[in-house]
Amino acid sequence: MELLAVFLPLFAFIVAGLFGKQIGDIGCQIVTSASVIIAAVFSVILFFEVGLGDYEAYSTILTRWIDSGTFQVNWALRVDTLSVVMMCVINIVSSCVHIYSIGYMSHDAAKGRFMAYLSLFTFAMLMLVTADNLLQLFFGWEGVGLASYLLIGFWNHKPSANAAAQKAFVVNRVGDFGLALGIMAVFVIFGSLDFDVIFSQVSDFADYKFVFLGYELHALTVASLLLFMGAVGKSAQLGLHTWLPDAMEGPTPVSALIHAATMVTAGVFLVARMSPLFEFAPVALIVVTVFGATTAFVAATIGLTQFDIKRVIAYSTMSQLGYMFFALGVSAYGAAMFHLMTHAFFKALLFLGAGSVIHAMSDEQDMRNMGGIAKKIPATYTMMWIGSLALAGVGIPGIFGFAGFYSKDMVLEAAWADASWFGHYAYWMGIAAAVMTAFYSGRLIFMTFHGKPRASKQVMSHIHESPAVMLAPLYVLAFGAIFAGFLFYNSFVGSAHHGEHDAHHIAKPLASGDHHDTAMIESTTKRNAKEEIKKAAGTIKAGIETQVSNVEEKMIGHAESIAEDHSNGDLNPRAKSDNDQIDAAHTDKHTNDHDDKAHFAATKEDFWKNTIFIRAGNDTVDAAHGVDLWVKLLPLIAGLFGLGLSYIFYIVAPGLPEKCVKAFKYPHQLLFNKWYFDELYDALIVKNALRLGRVFAVAGDKNIIDRLGPDGTALASLKTGTIFGKIQSGFIYHYAFIMIISVIGLVTWFFMKAW
Amino acid sequence: MLDFNLIPILPEIFLAFTAMGLLIVGVSGGNKSTDIICWAAVLSCLMAIFLLFGISWQRTTVLNDMFIIDQFGGFMKLIILLGMIASIALSVKYLYQEQMIRFEYPVLMLMACVGMMLMVSAHNLLGLYMALELQSLSLYVLAAFRRNSYKSAEAGTKYFVLGALSSGLILFGISLVYGFTGSINFSVIQTSLSNEGAANIGAIIGMVFLLSGLAFKISAVPFHMWTPDVYQGAPTSVTAFFAIVPKVAAFALIIRLLYEPFAPLMEQWSQIILFLSVASMTVGAFAALVQDNLKRLLAYSSIGNMGYALIGIVAGNEAGVSAVIIYLFIYMFMTAGTFGVILCLRRGGIASEKISDLGGLSLTNPALAYAMAILMFSMSGLPPLAGFFGKLFVFQAAIDGELYALAIYGVITTVIAAYYYLRIIKVMFFDDPVDTLDKDIPFARRAVIFVSVIFVLGFIIKPNLLVSSSQSAASAITAPQGLAVKKTIKEPPQAAAAGDRPSSTEAAATVTGAQDK
Amino acid sequence: MASQELLINYLPILVFMAIACVVSVAMILGSLLLGKQNPDSEKNSAYECGFDAFQDARNKFDVRFYLVCLLFIIFDLEIAFLFPWAISLGEIGVFGFWSMIVFLTILTVGFIYEWKKGALDWE
Repeated sequence: MELLAVFLPLFAFIVAGLFGKQIGDIGCQIVTSASVIIAAVFSVILFFEVGLGDYEAYSTILTRWIDSGTFQVNWALRVDTLSVVMMCVINIVSSCVHIYSIGYMSHDAAKGRFMAYLSLFTFAMLMLVTADNLLQLFFGWEGVGLASYLLIGFWNHKPSANAAAQKAFVVNRVGDFGLALGIMAVFVIFGSLDFDVIFSQVSDFADYKFVFLGYELHALTVASLLLFMGAVGKSAQLGLHTWLPDAMEGPTPVSALIHAATMVTAGVFLVARMSPLFEFAPVALIVVTVFGATTAFVAATIGLTQFDIKRVIAYSTMSQLGYMFFALGVSAYGAAMFHLMTHAFFKALLFLGAGSVIHAMSDEQDMRNMGGIAKKIPATYTMMWIGSLALAGVGIPGIFGFAGFYSKDMVLEAAWADASWFGHYAYWMGIAAAVMTAFYSGRLIFMTFHGKPRASKQVMSHIHESPAVMLAPLYVLAFGAIFAGFLFYNSFVGSAHHGEHDAHHIAKPLASGDHHDTAMIESTTKRNAKEEIKKAAGTIKAGIETQVSNVEEKMIGHAESIAEDHSNGDLNPRAKSDNDQIDAAHTDKHTNDHDDKAHFAATKEDFWKNTIFIRAGNDTVDAAHGVDLWVKLLPLIAGLFGLGLSYIFYIVAPGLPEKCVKAFKYPHQLLFNKWYFDELYDALIVKNALRLGRVFAVAGDKNIIDRLGPDGTALASLKTGTIFGKIQSGFIYHYAFIMIISVIGLVTWFFMKAW
Repeated sequence: MLDFNLIPILPEIFLAFTAMGLLIVGVSGGNKSTDIICWAAVLSCLMAIFLLFGISWQRTTVLNDMFIIDQFGGFMKLIILLGMIASIALSVKYLYQEQMIRFEYPVLMLMACVGMMLMVSAHNLLGLYMALELQSLSLYVLAAFRRNSYKSAEAGTKYFVLGALSSGLILFGISLVYGFTGSINFSVIQTSLSNEGAANIGAIIGMVFLLSGLAFKISAVPFHMWTPDVYQGAPTSVTAFFAIVPKVAAFALIIRLLYEPFAPLMEQWSQIILFLSVASMTVGAFAALVQDNLKRLLAYSSIGNMGYALIGIVAGNEAGVSAVIIYLFIYMFMTAGTFGVILCLRRGGIASEKISDLGGLSLTNPALAYAMAILMFSMSGLPPLAGFFGKLFVFQAAIDGELYALAIYGVITTVIAAYYYLRIIKVMFFDDPVDTLDKDIPFARRAVIFVSVIFVLGFIIKPNLLVSSSQSAASAITAPQGLAVKKTIKEPPQAAAAGDRPSSTEAAATVTGAQDK
Repeated sequence: MASQELLINYLPILVFMAIACVVSVAMILGSLLLGKQNPDSEKNSAYECGFDAFQDARNKFDVRFYLVCLLFIIFDLEIAFLFPWAISLGEIGVFGFWSMIVFLTILTVGFIYEWKKGALDWE
């Protein structure tokens, strides 16, 4: 099953990549989408078996990769909770993006290639998360880097896209260099790259020291920091983040899939996967925390001032990744993964929504040229609201909240509960970031959809709602953005001590369950008992009612109608195109129905099993449940405050932003220019590197190496050849002369030696 | 008294009489019977192979110790006969295409074949000389076979004059060796030299002359000067024959000379061979860079290849000799295929032999282009093709013999030589196409190309077939001699043969003894 | 040393060569020193059996001369081989007899080839 879940996208890539011309654009779209959707279904089943169920984690060894002395590496698929969570996220979001791309890229010439790249990316990402050793992980890591490069530069007729692709690639090389060194360090320490071997030995090497240049270094800290360097590059943390905003040059579905939901979280996954190592390297953990918290803050400040709709979301992504990292840093791995998952849903939703807006606005990305379009594209508008609310972390404590409400609060609480200077630093940075996050989320919504239209009349007249094939994935993701936090709270971060509190959460909405979702129930997998599914349906319904939103009503209705079509065996194109939605809906149904069983992985210990290692006394997630009430409430207040502020700034008093900019001219410029990171790098590194490169290229390469090397030897060879050719005069007596001379020479040689 | 056992010499006798019979048939049937005679010659070569397998390859000497058959000789003769079959098969249609249909052609080839087989089996300096001359005279005539072409006549003349010079060198060498060791019998020379060793300066000088003359036959630098002119001037089918077969025979002869009579002088002859090898590799690599005639290019290529093969001899160990045999075997297949392709380069009935004539071959005749590309890749020594393994074994032998510099130099020249092989591929695949080739490629030529390509591609699958047989051939020539050097005269050299079948060699020794009475 | 003994066997040849050199040099030098040197055009012209030369000596003549010469040499050599063979036939026995028969057969094959090729026809 894990084979199918991982290798179907590869199969799709091969088919679409090699035979794209033969099967046509539509063929490519069907093959890739269907493959990824099937893979998503399988990964969800795996999630139930391994994550929520009682199945043991296991590794499937495919074949021996490298066998060189003591260095042995396998191709293997490791299936445990951590990897199935990632597989679910990747495959579900990827399915949505595949479907969405069919609509979004409908005007593009190279649809087949695009779909093939998406599938390649999905495969590489799956290889990364199911790796059983660091080298395979590195393979996937580079694979996603490649796919990212290809997709950022997908519109290769745009110079800016090419430049962005190169930047992403080069900046990531810096991180990957660290990662590669880290992998080597791990091999030096443990003599193996297999996770099982490493983890079982970590405690033996807790005090192991390297001697490097005369310094004695704590080996595990060094290895951890090097690995973290890779994570910094891939996850766009401060310092190596500059590529991420530029990566928005790629098509929007790419931004959603790669640069929001999956690839950029690879760093988080890496640290979580290597948690046993990091746990024994407290210094590394502090570094991770500080990096994460600072990134969260800085990115949020930049996000305040940007006008490109995608860049705003990109900085928000960066900021949220910062949250995940400081959660990791305070040993709240569960919380980090929880936020990773919820973030994947609402950030993909935001991106795809933004894509829908851009699509509607005839490829306009600047928010200053938008406004007043809420009425024209209501579905997109609603989706963007859901995404923004989830991002801002709005919810009613104790009753229900958007996905971000649970995960972000959990992260912040965990940071506080760490009760250390860096934990508190992270908490306050996080709160500040939360205010700003809410503010720019609101700003984005208000500038884009409200106020007076600022676009030209021609553009305004063209504005239209996106086709169903683009909206359906939005609905699926919206579903995730609303419910993912609520449903998985217990599993990811629930604590045995606070079981009653959590049970309360679930029990209440359950009370008013009804069931008119039968069409969908028929088509769900057979391994679920009927009542459970009914209950599940009830949960959703109840959730919807309590949360008040006709949009969701609409969405469920939409899904139902499609599902009915589907169950009637009516495979018309519309139903087909919405297949994904149904599948994804099933997915969440599954989740529901399993989750509400009280004994079913109700606590994080049951859920994570042994995939995450936390040293005794370090369990901040447990501690987080017991922090003071104000700590718990502050994030929510911050979010609401930020939203309110943005309402005042952009709806009540539209002149206020201008005044603020004038009042805080220099801070604003600092933020607007992204803290001058690009300029700094340009001045410090890029220019000098280019200068040095030019010196080496002209003086070193051309004048020395080429002249003495390839060019020179080639020329010398040809000259020698010509000389030999001239000796070959064609006259017999010349030939005979040479023969005789040679014989005489040889004879003389031996005579000389004899005497 | 006199030794009357003719069984070991049966293949040669058979071929000699067939050749004479075919001569009579041809002269009474006229030139019309040429193709029948050609195929009869192929058939007789096949028959000779059967006979060769029929006789025992145990070390045996007959005809008053003038003729020897052993594992080494048997295997080399097998290679020669295979090469003969390929060369004749390549020639048949060519004779018709070039209007040189004369029945003497296959007969001469058979005569040369007899000469070469006798060379391999020579155990006596005069026998060696007779065999060499039988071979050489046939080759002179073949080189000038297209009488009405100036180039062919020039090639024949050059080859003859310089060949006569080399024969003179050989004869002089033989007389010196005879004068300073008192015998022309290989075993006696060896014994004599192992007693005196390097002190016998006269014998060393004799050996130098002998080796110089033989270096001419394998076209090792600086005795190579005839090669480019003759390769270019001779009819292409003859060039193919020159490139494929006589080299193998001359190499076998050199190996036997160096490892049997002159084994005690290894220190001296390895210097000569080293010099020849380095010089050949250098000239082969560089001079070919500027050629634009395919046949001339292949002449330099063959010079270079002889240089690589000589590395194996310099190494001076069993692995080296085995590597030489493998190298020659692979080289023979590649060359046969390459010349097969070149013979196909005809436009409107006129043969073309310029490199530029290959332009765009991948478009006009893709099958031929791919075959040529594979052969060229193999020649340049790219893994996993057969040519790579040939070089690999040779270099490995050199490294085993601690000749690191030589091995490195060999690799460097290989890289340089790769340029002109790859240039051919470049011309075929990237240059603008010239006119299409004539389509009617005869079956025999196709078969030769096909077999050679399959061999080159498939060698990696089962290299052991060749490697193990060439190892046993090499051990037959190296192992007993190396030990016999320190033994007394009377003891048969083969008593100390490689340990894998001591009983059989002993049996062979007693047989020889019994025949000697 | 064996080789030195061997070389001593060749000493008479060396002596012969030395004497030959001395004698020839002595004759040339003697005629140069003692004879009268008084050339004229008649003395310097080519002498051909008392006649004046008819034409240039380097003229072409029929290739068949060569052929006949070659054939003569081959069969002359055959005879040269036959004499010692005939004398020692008693010693070398059956093997010697058949060896010569083989040799003659090969020569005969060559002869048939020449004949059929028309090398013996003079027109």
